[in-house]
Amino acid sequence: MEILTGLLNGFAVALEPANLFWCFVGVLLGTVVGILPGLGPPATIAMLLPLTFNMNPAGAIIMLAGIYYGAKYGGSTTSILMNVPGESASVVTCLDGYQMAKKGRAGPALGIAAIASFVAGTVGVLGLMLVAPPIAKFALSFSSPEYFALMSLGLALVVLLAGRSIVKALLAALVGLWIASVGTDLFSSTSRFTFGQMELLSGIDFVVVAIGVFALAEVMVNMEARGETQLLPVPKGLKNLLPTMQDLKDCRFAFLNGSVIGFLVGALPGGGSTIASFLSYGLEKAVSPRREQFGTGVIEGVAAPEGANNSETGGALVPLLTLGIPGSGTTAILLAALVLWGFKPGPLFIPEHPALFWGLVASMYIGNVMLLILNLPLVPLFAQVLRMPAYVLYPLILGVSMVGVYSVSGSMFDLLLLLAFGLLGYLMRKLDYPSAPLILGLALGAGMERALRQSLMMSEGSLAILVSRPISAVMLSLAVLVLLIPMFGKLNAWRLRALEQE
Amino acid sequence: MKLRLSLVTLAALLAASVACAQGFKPARTVDLVVHTGPGGGSDVLARAIAVMVEKEKLLPVRLQVINKPGGNGAVAAAHLAEKKGDPNTLGLFTGVWLQSPLVSAEAKVTLRDLTPIARLVLEPAVIAVKADAPYKTLADFIDAAKKSPGQLKQSGGSNTSRDNVVRQLLQKSSGARWAFISFPGGGERIAALLGGHVNIMVIEPEEAGEHIRAGNLRVLAQVSEKRLAKFPEVPTLKEAGFDVPVVPQVRGVVAPPGIPKENVEFWQDFFRRLTRTPSWQKYIADNQFEDGYQNAADLAKFYDEFTDRMREILKDAGVKTVR
Repeated sequence: MEILTGLLNGFAVALEPANLFWCFVGVLLGTVVGILPGLGPPATIAMLLPLTFNMNPAGAIIMLAGIYYGAKYGGSTTSILMNVPGESASVVTCLDGYQMAKKGRAGPALGIAAIASFVAGTVGVLGLMLVAPPIAKFALSFSSPEYFALMSLGLALVVLLAGRSIVKALLAALVGLWIASVGTDLFSSTSRFTFGQMELLSGIDFVVVAIGVFALAEVMVNMEARGETQLLPVPKGLKNLLPTMQDLKDCRFAFLNGSVIGFLVGALPGGGSTIASFLSYGLEKAVSPRREQFGTGVIEGVAAPEGANNSETGGALVPLLTLGIPGSGTTAILLAALVLWGFKPGPLFIPEHPALFWGLVASMYIGNVMLLILNLPLVPLFAQVLRMPAYVLYPLILGVSMVGVYSVSGSMFDLLLLLAFGLLGYLMRKLDYPSAPLILGLALGAGMERALRQSLMMSEGSLAILVSRPISAVMLSLAVLVLLIPMFGKLNAWRLRALEQE
Repeated sequence: MKLRLSLVTLAALLAASVACAQGFKPARTVDLVVHTGPGGGSDVLARAIAVMVEKEKLLPVRLQVINKPGGNGAVAAAHLAEKKGDPNTLGLFTGVWLQSPLVSAEAKVTLRDLTPIARLVLEPAVIAVKADAPYKTLADFIDAAKKSPGQLKQSGGSNTSRDNVVRQLLQKSSGARWAFISFPGGGERIAALLGGHVNIMVIEPEEAGEHIRAGNLRVLAQVSEKRLAKFPEVPTLKEAGFDVPVVPQVRGVVAPPGIPKENVEFWQDFFRRLTRTPSWQKYIADNQFEDGYQNAADLAKFYDEFTDRMREILKDAGVKTVR
């Protein structure tokens, strides 16, 4: 009942013409910065911050939040069309999204990304509205051992991302873990693998590696096969550019999976959308009846991570608004904005400023609808990008990749790194090493090492801390189960062969 | 040719007259370089300064924030060093800029290589425990730590952060020993304390404020020379019986090397005027910072003292120093 009155009051705030306008401005800006690789929501919000001082705080937070969740809609566009992940959370989308585009299904891939974003984004807001306090409590019960277990579960998914050879996948994952260890060690302030380079002190940016290994390598491979490159097929007619009923049916579980995983991982202060998207992709693959087709362009492989990425926004706002704890760069700058406007985000924020909280929640429902209406018509438009001849498309991909990397750090050194990782990706393709495990290892490596060392410092060196805590024990057991999946497959095949022989 | 010449003389005359009247004045947008990405502590302060400059009309040109993250401050410091002689670039430094050259050989630019302008704020801290913890005073906690050495835990940043420095000083003066667990983000540190995974934390007063008001945290002592306005009941470290040096978190402004003296004078005066404005006073009161203004000459002395003290503390903590 309390929630209902709150929500009604919230809609009264969000539906004020000025606030509707700011909501639209926010989601529109968000979509644009989402599509552009590099320029992300934190930088955009930081740039707009001075403009918000003369605004009504409700309108301002509605707009800034709109940029935050709006950017997540656009993030998949370059992943699907060009294999260029625009942000770390849309790296996984490349795996099946780009393959779909290669098969002439760019339209349905972009369409399902928008639909999954809408469904899971809305579920995330529902979660924020209904279960924020208990979820915040649950998030606090999570500490280093649990994070380690969660990341182990994530890393175990490597066996699912493997191509033909598990050994090659594991090797690639190890290289990813190694790259993650470059930089200044948090615990001892010692430099590791920096080779005297100042730029390496803070480690190697995940997005640089992902763009190099995915996009640059793709361009190089295609350049080599210059004679045979054909235009990617783009079917004509609106009907072929949007997901079919069958597609939507295939994604039923992905919508649910993305929504729940995204929200839960988002609510953890040490979580984040990258881990959420990897986990939901892995879960989708683990339970799918057509597991072996993942990575060749199945639509659930796009829907699950894109959903998780959007539902994560609702989750990330839980610790921010109920505890004043930011979990990422974007929520940190939202926190700074609230403080600059004179609010004190913390445990008393929602009870003391109900109009602001409920206005924000209501605006997020409205904003998600706006985003769906805004993004679906863009699908046929963007799908046309692939009609470009190779001599335009590949230089364009190269340009987009370089601009994307440069705008993250503004450093020439990162462009050299991009080139190096492009070459690495090319070599891996030639030698048939899968690149996804490398990216997975890199995405999880730093956090996993940190969580393990924190756990061991908490327990004074005893590994028992990892299995004596229930949440951690359950997740580690799940990780073991996932590692055993390929063996089940082998056992099954062996059993079938045995049956045939009889 | 003649026209161009006369234009040049005109420009020179104009420049000279401006120089006579005001000394130096920035001619184009001023870049304020910070070492964090958007949303980091320095970034937020820099953007607040940019807004105040606009609001109080302190500069004829705009001030924009440039993010040069990476290398724990080393990238931003190197960027300033490269801008040698550039009068329109400034950097907002913190203690990290002093500490990272001490521990990382790769961080080649120290604050001594740049031109000091002004120190702006000192950020005090408070020592907090969970509200349901058995420790009512800092002495209670220290006694408990003595009874079970290494069992109690503190959450904080890296091992060169102020949090760890305070711990080292307290451990050295009391003989107690407890663990220090590093978390990269401020959010994770508080979450670890609120979730009961660690026992104590050195925390910024404003960060702790709402949790204290909601009854989640209790403050045992404050890391400052005198009691903060919003914590009149809480003893300082010295009053709590621990006479250890107070290590402030410092923020201030530096310029690239090789800029003329009159530019330094312009900027140190500019920041003095900034710190006297009502907007600034309100900002530091809201954030519970201490007004730490020092001019260029004092700041240079401060660097040296601070660096020497840090080196000692880090050595005591078993951290390898390279300079």
